[in-house]
Amino acid sequence: MQLFPCPFCGLREESEFHYGAEAGNVRPDAGFVSADQWSDYLHMRDNPKGATREIWVHLTCGEFFMMERDTVTHRVMGSTLLEDATHSA
Amino acid sequence: MRDHAAKWPPAPDWSTAKLDRGSISVRTIEGLSQLLVSGDLDAWATASGTASASVAGAVIASGNKYSARIARDRVLAVSATPFALATGWHDAGFAISRIDAGMHVFQVEGPGLNELLARAMTQPLVSSGPSASLLFAGINVVLYHFTSMQSVRIHVDRALAPYLWEWLEQSV
Ligand SMILES: [Zn+2]
Repeated sequence: MQLFPCPFCGLREESEFHYGAEAGNVRPDAGFVSADQWSDYLHMRDNPKGATREIWVHLTCGEFFMMERDTVTHRVMGSTLLEDATHSA
Repeated sequence: MRDHAAKWPPAPDWSTAKLDRGSISVRTIEGLSQLLVSGDLDAWATASGTASASVAGAVIASGNKYSARIARDRVLAVSATPFALATGWHDAGFAISRIDAGMHVFQVEGPGLNELLARAMTQPLVSSGPSASLLFAGINVVLYHFTSMQSVRIHVDRALAPYLWEWLEQSV
């Protein structure tokens, strides 16, 4: 069983966590949003092989956070409270 | 019509149901007052007279009134007598929801406790961090040591209590 780091609880078993989204996929919120922009937001994912930044939630405490991990090696580089994370880029 | 009742054992009479297997005993604690408190937890501790240090992991609960930590801004407040504070929003900065009947409480104790916890959890309770909310036997519970390292209280959604009882019957 892999352990994931919750910014509040510390290391917990992976089954207590749920994947949320790719970090950086910011909802387009300008006055005018083109069909392409909207479609990109809804459907297009980077799905990188290797280092990735993702939004996760720790289900037992309800904390949402940004986790950096490697999709090939499964190594977790760290997790950051969303308030402190620059997840917009 | 098909009789599905035979597939599951009936829920036990909690007031008398007890497991006693030498190294471990399990019983239900009835009548505890339970509140979900969200917001400014220091303000809650002051207003309610509960200890400001909330209970979880390596922190042992004791006494008639304490708060078990769930999240950064949420505790499950537990008391043997009803809390004097009203439910709803308090201007000091916290909100209270009553959950007395929502959660069933088991008390598990005995020298065999650590062995049982090891079967139900991935990590030792003492290293599970500042939140008492965790997965136990595959379901979400609020679990903490009560009065000693050889005793825990487990708060579980009432609907899942019969499942957990059955799991305990087979594992203790
Ligand atoms: Zn957590």
